[in-house]
Amino acid sequence: METSLQSEEPTEKRLPLAGPRVSPARTATACVASLVLPGLGHLVLGRWARGVIIGLAIVLMAVSGFWMKGHFFTPERGEWLTWFFSFLNLGLGVPYFVSLAADVGFKFPPMQAAESTFEYGNTFLMVAGALNMLATLDAYDIAVGRKG
Amino acid sequence: MTHFLALLLFSALVSVVFAALSSEHPETPGRVTYGLKVFGYFVLIGLAIAWVLYPLPL
Repeated sequence: METSLQSEEPTEKRLPLAGPRVSPARTATACVASLVLPGLGHLVLGRWARGVIIGLAIVLMAVSGFWMKGHFFTPERGEWLTWFFSFLNLGLGVPYFVSLAADVGFKFPPMQAAESTFEYGNTFLMVAGALNMLATLDAYDIAVGRKG
Repeated sequence: MTHFLALLLFSALVSVVFAALSSEHPETPGRVTYGLKVFGYFVLIGLAIAWVLYPLPL
């Protein structure tokens, strides 16, 4: 009898919340907003300073990427690295799709690829996307109370 | 834009975001210290890798 009672005890310990939880709707809004514009998710949650700092840094990184003659990637058949690079670019969210729809920032002439900063620019654009994914996860953690 | 300036810009922007996202440093002074440390590590390790790779015929 005692054994069966012991086996029903929960084995998983829940960590105490680091901050207040918000409603599921606001959580979803914050995550989507993070992907609409870097830092916007934190603004939705009232984290103004963090949102502005993260947003400015990521946008500056993406702008620097284009300034250094980088470009966005699209997945190409047989070129598996372009799938990974595109996934990282996708992290920027709506700006990536706006560029895709306007066909801006994807094609590049051979002269652009010959620039010494070409690969740096590509790296900046990919890392900007990856950082925005981290920022989106951070906004989710704040919304569910895992982070203060 | 030199290679070194690109390294500095990259390190600065990434360390700012890392410091802002850090969960281990909830207070601002801790975040600033952490950001400066990450920036320093990026620059030093970048220079070390460049120094190792420089003589290689790549």
